[in-house]
Amino acid sequence: MRPSSSAIFLELASEALWDATRRRIVPMIAFVSLISLLAVDSCTSCGSGNITANGQVVPVSEIAGWTGMLVIASLSMWMMVLAGILASDHLTEPLSDGSANLVLSRPVPRGAFAGARLAGALAIAMATAVVVLGVSAALLHLRSGLPLLPAALAGLACLAGSVVVGSLAMTLSLMTTRVATAMLVMVFVGAVTFINSLGLTGVELGAVGTAIQVLTPPLSTAVVVALAPWTDPVVPDVDPIIMMLKLCAWMIASVGILLVTFNRFEIRQ
Amino acid sequence: MNVFELEGVTKQYGRRAALRGFDLSLAPGESLGLLGPNGAGKTTAIRLLLGFSKPTSGTVRLRGLSPSDPTSRVGLGYLPERVQLPARMTIRSLLFHHAALIGLTGAAADLEVDAALEQTGLVERANERIGSLSKGLMQRAGFAQAFLGSPDLILFDEPTSGLDPIGVRDARDWIASARERGCSVMVSSHQLSEVERTCDKVAIVNEGQVIASGGIRSILNDGESLEDAFIRLVRQERK
Repeated sequence: MRPSSSAIFLELASEALWDATRRRIVPMIAFVSLISLLAVDSCTSCGSGNITANGQVVPVSEIAGWTGMLVIASLSMWMMVLAGILASDHLTEPLSDGSANLVLSRPVPRGAFAGARLAGALAIAMATAVVVLGVSAALLHLRSGLPLLPAALAGLACLAGSVVVGSLAMTLSLMTTRVATAMLVMVFVGAVTFINSLGLTGVELGAVGTAIQVLTPPLSTAVVVALAPWTDPVVPDVDPIIMMLKLCAWMIASVGILLVTFNRFEIRQ
Repeated sequence: MNVFELEGVTKQYGRRAALRGFDLSLAPGESLGLLGPNGAGKTTAIRLLLGFSKPTSGTVRLRGLSPSDPTSRVGLGYLPERVQLPARMTIRSLLFHHAALIGLTGAAADLEVDAALEQTGLVERANERIGSLSKGLMQRAGFAQAFLGSPDLILFDEPTSGLDPIGVRDARDWIASARERGCSVMVSSHQLSEVERTCDKVAIVNEGQVIASGGIRSILNDGESLEDAFIRLVRQERK
């Protein structure tokens, strides 16, 4: 008798989630998330009043949208990095300690195993993202009157970006060490964010920058485009539909790359 | 149809050949001992059968299917050389996890898990965390998961490592009872006595090749023990 693929996936995913919640990094994530929220609380506490910039007095309410965009975009990037770091050993750990061997000796498709491990790591990253971004958006709404819908869309873009970064990190972890994977995740998200940000400001990117902008997932751009209503009338010159389609395509492709790579992977332990 | 077949299999790891023209098969209900010195290629052959790696050349079939097809592993039990089990699980939760992976749920899972615990003498320890178990108990838990769901093929890789003499005797009895109910068994080991007592066929492997195979009696010269025959064949091959 062979159980259905969905039953196998659910069994493995719940096991992978249990595994993820017991990792030593989880209390650290909770601590850093709390610090992030305290920082957001501090940043958003000035809902009224004026500031002086270059000798000009500007009401705080006028820059609330930009502040909110900066806060949500920064937190989104950190959430994507977190997804990558969590995914960087969630598949390789059971492979290297040999505990995956017994599972894979069952009628378990390799894709179900890798997909379940990814789901387990992403569940922790996504739960953190929902809490951190949700509380931040609520604070910005209550204190600065920023609408919630753009924040919700930015949250979805962040979750999609987390799937991309997590999948790519998990794939990379099959070829290199955990530390190298984590470093590459940070470099990748940092570089893409930098180039995306330059692209949004209209700066000439040059050949390398344009290549990165075109060939990499729009991690930062998608979040910023979703938050564009907060900075109205300054709206980035990007088609939001195209941007979301590109991110969805990356999401599907990155998970596909992981599954194909793991299918061809030699288990040596 | 044979339960499994490896035909002319070569497996290269870089420039090193772990298997070279390796031929091996197992008929339904047979028990085969895979004997060989350390590094002979026994574990590599098992890994190919389980689909953990792919042959560089040659054919590997498990129940007539490619080992990369999960269906080929339906009804398969496996006990690896170094049993690694998730430390945070209890023995019972581990068995239920594996029961779910082979499609056993509800009362059927309860029955199978209880039977496996009973068979391996782990009933009293069933709710203990695996991380707190001794090596021998861990090996017993490994046996319990291998017997789950009454598989019709079990691959044992050095099954008695870590067991005390009583455990070794128990393990032999468990393997014998699996054979009695018609299960095909392959025992990879360098413990000759273990293979002699549990198997009716042997294949001797050296440097990635099967150098002799057949019924145990058929490879022995007059008055020779299996140990003598093994050493003679391996030395002969090395010359």
